[in-house]
Amino acid sequence: MSTVFSLYLASMKEFVRDRMSMFWTLAFPILFIVLFGLIFSGSGSVNFTMGMVVEDQGQVGQALAQTFETIARQNNSPFKLETGSRQAEMNSLKKGNLDMVIVIPAGISAQVAQNQTAKVQMYYDPTRNQTNAQIEQTIINSIVGQFNQHYTRVSPPLAVDTISVATKTLSSIDFLVPGILAMSLMQLGIFGTAQPLVALRQEQVLRRLGATPLPRWMLLTSQVLMRMTIALTQTALLVGIGIAAFNIHMEGNPLALLGIVLLGAATFISLGYLIAAFSPTVDAASGIGSAVNFPMMFLSGVFFPLALLPAFLTPVVRALPLTYLADAVRQVMINGTPAFPLTVDLAVLAGWVVVCTLVAARFFKWE
Amino acid sequence: MSAALNAITVENLRKVYGATKAVDGISFEVREGEVFGMLGPNGAGKSTTIEMIEGLRRPDGGSITVLGLKQPGAANHIKTRIGIQLQTTALYPRLTVTEILDLFHTFFRGRKTISTAELIQLVDLDEKKDTHSKALSGGQRQRLSVALALVNDPDIVFLDEPTTGMDPQARRQLWDLVRALQQRGKTILLTTHYMEEAEQLCDRVAIVDHGHIMELGSPQDLISRHFQEIAIEFNHPEGDTENYRTLAGVNNVVVENGHVSLYSTDVPATMAALLQRTDNSGALRNLNVRGGTLEDVFLKLTGRALRD
Repeated sequence: MSTVFSLYLASMKEFVRDRMSMFWTLAFPILFIVLFGLIFSGSGSVNFTMGMVVEDQGQVGQALAQTFETIARQNNSPFKLETGSRQAEMNSLKKGNLDMVIVIPAGISAQVAQNQTAKVQMYYDPTRNQTNAQIEQTIINSIVGQFNQHYTRVSPPLAVDTISVATKTLSSIDFLVPGILAMSLMQLGIFGTAQPLVALRQEQVLRRLGATPLPRWMLLTSQVLMRMTIALTQTALLVGIGIAAFNIHMEGNPLALLGIVLLGAATFISLGYLIAAFSPTVDAASGIGSAVNFPMMFLSGVFFPLALLPAFLTPVVRALPLTYLADAVRQVMINGTPAFPLTVDLAVLAGWVVVCTLVAARFFKWE
Repeated sequence: MSAALNAITVENLRKVYGATKAVDGISFEVREGEVFGMLGPNGAGKSTTIEMIEGLRRPDGGSITVLGLKQPGAANHIKTRIGIQLQTTALYPRLTVTEILDLFHTFFRGRKTISTAELIQLVDLDEKKDTHSKALSGGQRQRLSVALALVNDPDIVFLDEPTTGMDPQARRQLWDLVRALQQRGKTILLTTHYMEEAEQLCDRVAIVDHGHIMELGSPQDLISRHFQEIAIEFNHPEGDTENYRTLAGVNNVVVENGHVSLYSTDVPATMAALLQRTDNSGALRNLNVRGGTLEDVFLKLTGRALRD
């Protein structure tokens, strides 16, 4: 086992002593976040006007409505609220006077009383700024989420100060940071794993190591551990800079985020090995890597929401592992609107790890 | 010679790439403690043969026994007892010589090894022990690759073209190292296309061409077997084979680009005739009289020079 550790140390030393390579590996995601931070810092926090329709007469509906009203009255509220009938509010939305309408439908109190899940509906204009729409939904989501956690029929509605925790204004960068984190994990796997491994094969280093009794799995394990270390460093830098310089908000549990980062890193590292298995040269690895990288960057909901993409692309979107990682990271980091249930995200990522690893192991040539 | 004393036994070894027979029925034995060389031009099949013996390549036919164990079945076990020198310029470029040697030691836990310090002394890399491997010269890197082959104190050391690209001084240094290893009781199998290297280092040599062994024996045996002549060599601008064949004592003539080699069984007679012939028609430049070499043997066996 300590042979694996010695190999791991050796590859870490190689990485750290190559100042240029280390700089670009760590700096690239930082550049992204600084760039986006600067682009979006001007736009400030989001403000929107929301119409509310309360059709539920029971306790749950009333409590929720009261929660929204309380928040809207705060000085730092992200939204202005008006209440009205469904028809009136939907008309306002269509005319463009409102950014969003939330409907608390009839019967949800009864459903909650029977321990069923009740749904609150949000309506928005799909032709509007999609990033803002996502953020608005995220805010509403987080309010409803907090409401769910605290609400019981016995106690009074949420105390105001508890709610105000959930209304920290989210800016566009909060939405983008999880996507950028997911993307940097993908690029670590595709470029940071495939190309160096193919280079090792091309330069006959694998052959040299294969002339010793060193078992192959030890070498591979040490490489994977090394890539994971880099992934965690990138994550720490991204999140650290985001919080320190751009005041991004981390809503979720850091341990959950760590787990998802590790799983995401594993997914793309194993994808990198798959690419390396089918790349005879470093140039081929680079080409295949780019061919995989670019579609995922733009079709996985990293820079703009999935809802913006035309429907015929949906099967493609669902086939891309980055879609699920970005979604999972967004859910955990900022309680973002889920594109898929978190368990689906995790299952898909785990599935990719297994498939990629098995196929790569079968086809990877050491010379 | 009983089989138990053979470090390596190779029988009817074959390797085919498409339509090309890279190794076409090679058989030989390497005795324990000897330095055995495979001499031949590039593409002769030497490297392919040695790789199959090392276990790095699968043979298409024949049998290989190393230290009593069969290749490729016992390849992993054999790897623990042999040392393979492979040229890898890109091996951990930013680790120091010491770090790389230490790392290789971790591959042989629980087995006897030669310490990093001793290896560095052995290959004379003391000055460079804390240098990154990418900063080493070609000769130094070659010595490091030999050191890596010795980490596990192997019984057999395989050297594949170990002095390619080295300057003469570095080459001689490596020859001293090979002799020192032999002193330690190691068996050494090396491949080379340098005739002098084979003559200087090897107890026995196999001359290899086109996947076959043409001849096998000690360098002296091979030369005296095929060469009863002495070579008289000189440069002459008007060199023409027919001119010289008629000289006294001349058995064979080779002329190449103004460089003439006369193979004579009676040197005084040939010299006298030669000097008479070229009396006033230009001096003989770079006159050299020498005994036969392995290169002459190769030339005779194949009709080609060792280095095309």
